[in-house]
Amino acid sequence: MSTSKLLRVCSLDAENPIDSSLREAFSSLHDRLKPPFPLTIPSPSEYSQLNLALAYGMLTEPHLAKTHLTHLHAIVIDGYNHFTTILINLSNESYPKLLQTPKSQLLWMSSKLVQVAAVKVETLIISLLRQIKGGDFSEPNLWLCAELMSILANNWDWLLEEPLVMKSSLFVFLRLLADHYRLVGRPELDKLKRMEIEFCIRVLRQHFDICLDIGRDLIRILQDLVYVPEFKNVWMDFLSDPGKFGVSVFMDISQLYRTRTPSHYLLLTITPEMETQLRFLLTHVKWGSQKRYQAWFAKKHFCTPGSETLIVDIVRFICCVHHPSNEIIQSNVISRWAIIGWLLKCCKKNYFLANVKLALLYDWLFFDEKVDNIMNIEPAMLLMVNSINQYIDITHTLLEFLFLLVDNYDVQRRELIFKGVSNSFCLLVRKGVVHSLESLTSCNQLSPVFREKLSSMISSSNLKTVKGSSESEIILCGRRTPSGA
Amino acid sequence: MTICISRRQFTLATLTLPCPLVRTPQAERIPPPPPSLATESPPAAGPLSHTGYRDVLSIAICPLSDLPMISLKDIVPAATNTINTQFIVLDKGNIGQDGKETTCLALVADETAAVHFQLWGDECHFFEPGDIIRLSNGIFSYHKSNLVLRAGKKGKADKVGEFNMLFVETPNMSEIKWANDPTNPRKFVKEEEVSSHSRIFLPLP
Repeated sequence: MSTSKLLRVCSLDAENPIDSSLREAFSSLHDRLKPPFPLTIPSPSEYSQLNLALAYGMLTEPHLAKTHLTHLHAIVIDGYNHFTTILINLSNESYPKLLQTPKSQLLWMSSKLVQVAAVKVETLIISLLRQIKGGDFSEPNLWLCAELMSILANNWDWLLEEPLVMKSSLFVFLRLLADHYRLVGRPELDKLKRMEIEFCIRVLRQHFDICLDIGRDLIRILQDLVYVPEFKNVWMDFLSDPGKFGVSVFMDISQLYRTRTPSHYLLLTITPEMETQLRFLLTHVKWGSQKRYQAWFAKKHFCTPGSETLIVDIVRFICCVHHPSNEIIQSNVISRWAIIGWLLKCCKKNYFLANVKLALLYDWLFFDEKVDNIMNIEPAMLLMVNSINQYIDITHTLLEFLFLLVDNYDVQRRELIFKGVSNSFCLLVRKGVVHSLESLTSCNQLSPVFREKLSSMISSSNLKTVKGSSESEIILCGRRTPSGA
Repeated sequence: MTICISRRQFTLATLTLPCPLVRTPQAERIPPPPPSLATESPPAAGPLSHTGYRDVLSIAICPLSDLPMISLKDIVPAATNTINTQFIVLDKGNIGQDGKETTCLALVADETAAVHFQLWGDECHFFEPGDIIRLSNGIFSYHKSNLVLRAGKKGKADKVGEFNMLFVETPNMSEIKWANDPTNPRKFVKEEEVSSHSRIFLPLP
């Protein structure tokens, strides 16, 4: 088998379908890719093949890329839709395997497509943003950050027309800055850090109105940057002078707390490959078979020194993005709470562990049935309850952290958070996620202080009255039938 | 009523309870992926597309051979290369030398059974646990008194993906004692199961 000019493969890899379709189109049209270009209008199938051939030419022949690009500009009749789609598929399916030359070329082509505002180029940029790995300080990963950063910074006018790209980039780079700022003694990183800070501050200061719908996770990721001097002022204004953002509707930070972050943003911080694997694990793998998958996942994604920070992103993905159907919840497929329990155990440093717990409990703090989804808070509840017998330390540490958050997360808005947490407990019981909280309040292994706090929280909510309501009865009756019969 | 249930009990409970553990109204189900993340062309329709689970089905008709794919539970020892199948590597033994050739024994499996697979030459260093391999014209036979599946001289093993494939660890086809078929001495039939799991690669605790 011939080696690929596009992908890092060896003779034991099966043929990659994208690679072969691009290569075949290129070799069949090779003679037509040199000037003078024919003036005839290609048929739809010829047009499609020509797009593939030109894409392959640009990806693998950097010295001829400009000629191929001119050719593309000359023949294009669909606003570059076809061409951009080819690159989106390549990025989604094969980016990690791309050789360095095609990788550089892909970024160059993307910047050119941004300049002509090609159809779907926003999808391409977002797809490339997803290829950046959190907690990865390797050269290729930092290179991708820098390349995307320059595309964004050099095309500000285009970015203003594409608010979703602006917000997505802000979210991704704020998240990455937390990593990059933690890394000291890497002078080559300074330029990248500077660009990231300038970009994020510019978006936050000049276009905060469009950032509002990112919601509460914007605050969560900004928390990691509180020690970065440039973000100190942003924080001060958030807390004491929200008017400085120049958005009339933004009066208080609690508006962000109350906005549930759309799953789009939480998907940005994990790569498509991780998403596929996690979804497979949580959709098909049965209880008892998960250990090998967990080991493979950890070997692949947690092997580098900084990769612990990735666990935070994965926990947010599991809580907020991957919501299994009722059929799967009832089946013996491994549950989300169990995978999160494993992820907590993978975290060795206390600092990251605290962030993982925050990620797991974050939606509890501001939970409002009208805007929030019970599936976001379900894993933490089940993890606490199901850990009582064998892993009481997990139950203990999560409850402890939850009460710590209620009292300290935002002292000025303690009421709001207290209400969010008691709403969470209340709804979880009302919807039958757990029968009651008695397993926690009567658990002797838990500290009496926690049990007391929990009891007072329940009594302050309307949980007791709700328990007697007809809706709750129906759910509980349904649950009780098999064991009670 | 308290619910102090262990993990195992919880599993059984989820199997038998007719009522969903979480009552999610239809509207709270997973929303479709936002348009900007989903590409519109069919090959990349979802997260499980390229190296995904669906491929297990789509490669069911093996393009490299006229023979259909078979499940590991259906393989029978034979003297010729006829096996087309697909499996995931679960474990690898130590890499050693067999004369001039590098060899390594691996535990592989699909959704129906597991088997010992003999890696050969470059395969020993390249294939890793978690890799999904498509075997074309492989052979299941005795090799130095071990019953192993391998590519052999005429076959080929290709990596087609990673991770996204289900497997079982029992039965293990290499741990079955085979006997000559009384009606056809050139064929083998199952005599008895020596061990339910691999005796070389122990299951994870």
